[in-house]
Amino acid sequence: MRWNLTPILLGALVAGFWVDAPLAQDEGNLFDTAVDARLGERYFQRTCSRCHSPDATGNDETGAPNLTGTLSNASTDTGVFRVIREGLRGTAMLPINPDTPDANVWQIVTYLNTLRTDPANMNLPGSAAAGQALYAGKGDCASCHMLDGAGGRKGPDLSRVGERRDPDELRTDLTDPNEDVLPRWWTMQITRDDGSTVQGLRMNEDTFTLRIIDENADLWSFAKSDVRSYERSEDSTMPSYEETMTASEVDDLVAYLFSLRKETSE
Amino acid sequence: MKRLAITAFVVAFGAVGIGNGHAQAPEQEAPGTTGTTTPAFSPVTWERLVNAADEPENWLMYSGTLDSQRFSGLDQINTSNVSGLELKWAYQIPQIDRSESVPLVVDGIMFITEAPSNVVAVDAATGRQYWRYNHEMPDDLRICCGRNNRGVAILGETLYMSTLDAQLVGIDARTGNLLWASQVADYKAGYSKTAAPLIVKDKVVTGIAGGEFGIRGFVDAYNAETGQLDWRTHTIPGPDNPDVQTWSGESWRTGGSASWITGSYDVDLDLVYWGTGNPGPDWNGDVRLGDNLYSDSVLALDGAGGDMSWYFQFTPHDVHDWDAIQVPVLADIEYEGATRKVMMWANRNAFYYTLDRETGEFLVGKPYALQTWAEGLDENGRPIRVPDTFPTQEGVVVSPSIGGGTNWWSPAFSPETGLFYVNAFDGEQEYFKRDEEYEEGERFTGGGGQNVQPIDTYKSAIRAIDPATGDLVWEFPIQPRSTAGITTTAGNLLFSGSVDGYFYALDATTGEELWHMSVGRMVHSAPMTYAVDGQQYVTIAAGNVVYTFGLD
Repeated sequence: MRWNLTPILLGALVAGFWVDAPLAQDEGNLFDTAVDARLGERYFQRTCSRCHSPDATGNDETGAPNLTGTLSNASTDTGVFRVIREGLRGTAMLPINPDTPDANVWQIVTYLNTLRTDPANMNLPGSAAAGQALYAGKGDCASCHMLDGAGGRKGPDLSRVGERRDPDELRTDLTDPNEDVLPRWWTMQITRDDGSTVQGLRMNEDTFTLRIIDENADLWSFAKSDVRSYERSEDSTMPSYEETMTASEVDDLVAYLFSLRKETSE
Repeated sequence: MKRLAITAFVVAFGAVGIGNGHAQAPEQEAPGTTGTTTPAFSPVTWERLVNAADEPENWLMYSGTLDSQRFSGLDQINTSNVSGLELKWAYQIPQIDRSESVPLVVDGIMFITEAPSNVVAVDAATGRQYWRYNHEMPDDLRICCGRNNRGVAILGETLYMSTLDAQLVGIDARTGNLLWASQVADYKAGYSKTAAPLIVKDKVVTGIAGGEFGIRGFVDAYNAETGQLDWRTHTIPGPDNPDVQTWSGESWRTGGSASWITGSYDVDLDLVYWGTGNPGPDWNGDVRLGDNLYSDSVLALDGAGGDMSWYFQFTPHDVHDWDAIQVPVLADIEYEGATRKVMMWANRNAFYYTLDRETGEFLVGKPYALQTWAEGLDENGRPIRVPDTFPTQEGVVVSPSIGGGTNWWSPAFSPETGLFYVNAFDGEQEYFKRDEEYEEGERFTGGGGQNVQPIDTYKSAIRAIDPATGDLVWEFPIQPRSTAGITTTAGNLLFSGSVDGYFYALDATTGEELWHMSVGRMVHSAPMTYAVDGQQYVTIAAGNVVYTFGLD
């Protein structure tokens, strides 16, 4: 691993910082340059990526959360610093090695900040206001999606979708919904021993059992050994809006969906 | 991009388009007929909650029923076969904290809360997950006693949960989607929420924690639809109420009196009953001279508006942290030749009380656990204090301990045996006081307690009490002690657990041990029981695992 250290140390020198500089949490993040972000990424890859995955999108099996959206345990740089420094009690999130200088922790914070898209810096072609009208009207989105507690249960809750999908991803979701379907939105059809069938969205499946939510939003649980067969479709149940919406309408919807964040949804 | 459809088939379901409904509703059978499914749940109306005892296959609220008896009408598991209980499934909470959660079961779906303030919905027959809700939490919480959550309430298709950052949230019971979040109070000032809410008609009634942070407590009712506050009744009177004179100076402003456990409700009287916690600072009463109303009390509040109908203060001017944070247990019992609507209450101060729940009249009061602080109760139920039992700078030894004769652990009442059951501890503590200034968001306790001897020195037991007399009927000794709740059933069983990591069943009539299981770690929650597809289950959280048992 020694070969790994040289560029980091060189980078620190280039950036004009040294690790024994006096640093206190409450001074805020003094390491917020692009160089710091690059160094932070190196520390992240070495220290954090095993659980949070190299692209920081998290890992369901380790339980490490996605770090590219809104963080659930800290909302400020100082808060993120503290989580990295002290860990999260009662979880697998351990404190970083105590020998790690504060500077390096701040650089990780800076790197994580680069993973989030600041809506203020986006110059989207569409109109969010027009998109909101399309959401309620022509798009009929609320028949399947929930937004701030109102709407359907046949698709993901969109109250804060702007925090987890960037504009390009949202555009794809609208025009080619089968491109990227999370397993929660696959469809299962179960045929019982008596030939009757139940169909619904896949809430969970494991080696021996599976659970779905049907079109009436009723929840069903099956033992695989007790049914005749079960089939899975990994397509989305969402229609493509490529044909039914104009390009500028899609732009508007993207602008609206990207604006849906914690701040605006309250 | 990956699209490996294992089997492609036409998806009629959920196809969306304007005016495009579903081509065909999937065929469905009556729930539970095949044994391969759990029933899909139907909305939980207020009528279902009122009559929860009539559907014992479900556990629809924290204490089982609005009267909080924690009695289940299920009898498939009973004294004759309980020795054959076996593990059906275990669910591991992915948090290290000890669980204090009591799950709900609605038509085959179980809702479990987890530390710090999360919910998971699982198949009650298998423990396998449908969905989970993870509550976003700030990084600067102020909490006194662990990252706890004790359970949800349900009305219609919405779950209601209190959170450590002092929010009440509404969650869609079918998907786990967050419907709304109401900020109840400022968590940075020490307010937090841990208890399961109580549904009262169309309102969500809920208390507040933070009695060690100089808060001013209250009981709230929120509109179940919108999450908007309907009424708030402070548990400490303000300047517009003459009772404020029971607090010297301005001490009422920081007097605690939190309301951190779930209350009960009498449908006929339309009264909400709720216990209140210690006055603050806990151990230094010099700065809050007076009785300190309505700390350490039970409040009877009008369900529609929250107006106080009556109160009963168990421990006036408490200086030992003996919260009246117990679940009020309601029943109609024979008392001196007549049927009385009563409330049964084994208090942290080591006295057992039977009160008339219409009027608050004191009927019965006797010690049920070791106590050295009172010579007894007067005719109104007010304690006659033993001199020199207040905490001092040097320390003074008093029974019960800070933890009390009992604590928030749910007691139970069986209408079949007529007995009230409580986990009791005959402990003691050396109590200290110190001078402390109030500072927002900081602990404000004015002292503390030191253990005098090892825990194994003391006695602990499940005690069965006759509520008409306060007399002990039987006891089941526990070593070293228990901090678990109790549930009884129509199978004449009593289920509980203990600190030494056991879950066990006793004969509810005699206290005889019938079955026990080592569950490996402290039981710090209350058992509940339910049935799916005709099979009865018993569930207990121990450590951070939820265990479910049933017969073969």
